Amino acid sequence: MSATDKTPAEDPDVCVVGAGPASALLSHCLAKRGHDVVILEAGPRFDLDERIERMKRQIHPDRADNEIWDMGGERDAYTTSGDHSWLINQRRVKGVGGTSLHWGSVVPRLYEKDFEMESRHGIARDWPISYEDLQPYYAEAEQEIGVAGPDDAPFFPPREEEYPMDPLAPSYSDKLFARAGEALDIEVHSMPMAINTGEYDRNECQGYGTCQFVCPSGGKYTADIHVRKAEREGATLITEAVVQRLNHGPAGEEITEAVYETPDGETHRQKADVFVAAAGAYETPRLLFLSESGEYPNGLANSSGTLGKYFMGHPPAGVVGVLPNEETHVDSYGPVVSSGIHQFYEYDDPDDPKRGSVNIFLTNVSGPSPATLAMAEESVGDELLESVDLQFGSTLQANMSVEMLPREDNQITVDDSQTDSYGNPVPDVDISPSEFARRGQVRGTEAVSEIIEEMGGTVVYADGTLTVEHDEMPPIAKGGYHPLGGSRMGEDPAESVVDPNLQTHDLENLYVSGGGVFVTSGASNPTLTIMALSLKAADHIDEQL
Amino acid sequence: MELSRRDALAALSAAGIAATAGCSSLLGDEGTETAAEETDEATATATDAPTDAPTETPADEASSMDTMVALAEVLYPSEVEPTESFVQTYLYGRIYAEEAYAGEVDSGIETLNGLANDEAGDDFHALSADERVSVIENTDLRTGDSVHDGSDVERVNYHLVDELLFAFYSSPVGGEMVGTQNPRGFPGGYGYSPPLDQ
Ligand SMILES: Cc1cc2nc3c(=O)[nH]c(=O)nc-3n(C[C@H](O)[C@H](O)[C@H](O)COP(=O)(O)OP(=O)(O)OC[C@H]3O[C@@H](n4cnc5c(N)ncnc54)[C@H](O)[C@@H]3O)c2cc1C
Repeated sequence: MSATDKTPAEDPDVCVVGAGPASALLSHCLAKRGHDVVILEAGPRFDLDERIERMKRQIHPDRADNEIWDMGGERDAYTTSGDHSWLINQRRVKGVGGTSLHWGSVVPRLYEKDFEMESRHGIARDWPISYEDLQPYYAEAEQEIGVAGPDDAPFFPPREEEYPMDPLAPSYSDKLFARAGEALDIEVHSMPMAINTGEYDRNECQGYGTCQFVCPSGGKYTADIHVRKAEREGATLITEAVVQRLNHGPAGEEITEAVYETPDGETHRQKADVFVAAAGAYETPRLLFLSESGEYPNGLANSSGTLGKYFMGHPPAGVVGVLPNEETHVDSYGPVVSSGIHQFYEYDDPDDPKRGSVNIFLTNVSGPSPATLAMAEESVGDELLESVDLQFGSTLQANMSVEMLPREDNQITVDDSQTDSYGNPVPDVDISPSEFARRGQVRGTEAVSEIIEEMGGTVVYADGTLTVEHDEMPPIAKGGYHPLGGSRMGEDPAESVVDPNLQTHDLENLYVSGGGVFVTSGASNPTLTIMALSLKAADHIDEQL
Repeated sequence: MELSRRDALAALSAAGIAATAGCSSLLGDEGTETAAEETDEATATATDAPTDAPTETPADEASSMDTMVALAEVLYPSEVEPTESFVQTYLYGRIYAEEAYAGEVDSGIETLNGLANDEAGDDFHALSADERVSVIENTDLRTGDSVHDGSDVERVNYHLVDELLFAFYSSPVGGEMVGTQNPRGFPGGYGYSPPLDQ
């Protein structure tokens, strides 16, 4: 289909809303098996050629992260009403590839215990599936996207086969961390990264060092790759098609059409046999709420009353240190992350886990780049060089994502007091801190601080988001990176939105794909799990069709 | 240290303008072993740019190059000399690749000359280095905001000053002066790190 023809596809089997990671592999998998798939994506297809210009926005000190991929404005309006305001337009992208255009591409799996929190640890609740159920889909997702990872990393859950590519070589700062960690019995290991080191059919990493938020070379996996593959298998992509609501038939058993608007102001109706809502964890609940009807007055797929609830994040924390008189960036290194520490994913006391699991990733590019520093200064010439030199080069940094428990009162709702550019009420994010996650942040920041001190360094920042000062933090330190929950999975239709195949309990031809279906958060970056779950759902849809 | 064409090509590849753009003809032999080789489909953002770009500098562009070199001279450390071929190669790539950017350079130079005339009675490139620094210090250049679609001076800060700073500090020459061969924004390869204690 041409980029300008925005009319509905004729009689497709499957209509997928959204073109991010939760959609792309699933759409490709179904198209490959001969099903007619149409993808409706709210944003545009970004030009690969423009990525350099977007990268320069990232490096420019005066441009906000939401400007990189043109987020913001009335289309993307939202409100926050909890104790923590989240900058969600700095944490999502609307376009083919979705937020993976912006992501860091760190792709660990969840752990076995993450699926069994209630039976193992007496907290939260179990998923209706186990790690073993998902294991083959994890392997498939890793093969599809191309992951460079360690086969022998300590702590990681069991693997059935090797990673598709050898792990990334350690950076100079990784080596500094590893040596100091050894002295403290803290193990530093490679992290699985969706970055092409040469074996995959996309460009190789070229070392721009800007993976998060733009990879100009295309070496980092982004979900537009599988959208393109799906199109090659016959799928239809309609961009700038903003789905307004899903309508069902008279009996309320099945969805019949997705109603979408295009930039010319036209309203279109896409019919299909099966619908998959994969609009991201912020937008999917809103779409279901906006689709309320006489039969479903509280929103579609919400007879449990849990839609939007049990929303979670991975409250981030970070540590920045300085090694006086030592250059820490002496390498020619590209990927933003290559190593991490999963030693504190395990609980200190499994019988009484008082804190969240911690997933620590060491960053190879700490603090602003030389160009960012230079632009931000006011001086010129030698004085400028001196101040850039003074600020750059001796820093070390680790970031971490931390497990957060699901709570009913943390939720996505719609806020009727404000509307978006289509006149629809905007999503509201209501999220408040918890001690469980806070204690995880403390454990992680203490561990990294110890390592930096072991090197002879000075810790200049060690904090997490879950403090009263949250709203004073710099934008980059705030939460919202990994939205999870809000349409959780379960066997019991009275307590969950979707079943283990991501099929909604209420409507047999409606599925939800994305982080929203997570029952608990674990601490691992979530997207590999999102993709694995989507492949499991694709198997089920394939059987149904 | 002279900043050469080769350095400009390296900076260009950081800026995504590969040697396939108008600057290829400016490359000469010197540059062939550098950025050109690293160029691939993705970095060659300027493939649509005319490949038959003139090899000689037209008169008005020559004077705009003078201004850009004069600006780079005061922005960059005294140790480096931003030769015309550095600035020319870097900026030509962009000017030929992006019409909009060429417009920003033209109007930015006009703004800069206006400020220079107010401060010191001549166009920016005709002023001594000290006078140029004074123009910068006595106006909102550098100290004021840098906004891509802002006021005239804000645009000079964004499109001329910050662009030249990006060209230098995201290139290996600028990077090495602050301790890194591969500053962020430069595609300097992805997997090399020296052993510890080096
Ligand atoms: C800065 C950053 C770094 C990250 N790093 C990592 C990482 O290293 N590892 C990791 O695992 N995860 C990471 N993540 C998280 C990761 O990006 C998300 O988990 C992932 O993108 C979720 O995929 P999704 O398809 O569910 O949603 P999205 O990627 O957000 O895609 C949803 C798509 O749906 C479209 N859409 C929304 N509403 C509508 C509508 N009404 N009609 C039509 N289309 C619609 C959107 O335009 C969008 O394209 C990171 C996130 C951020 C912000």
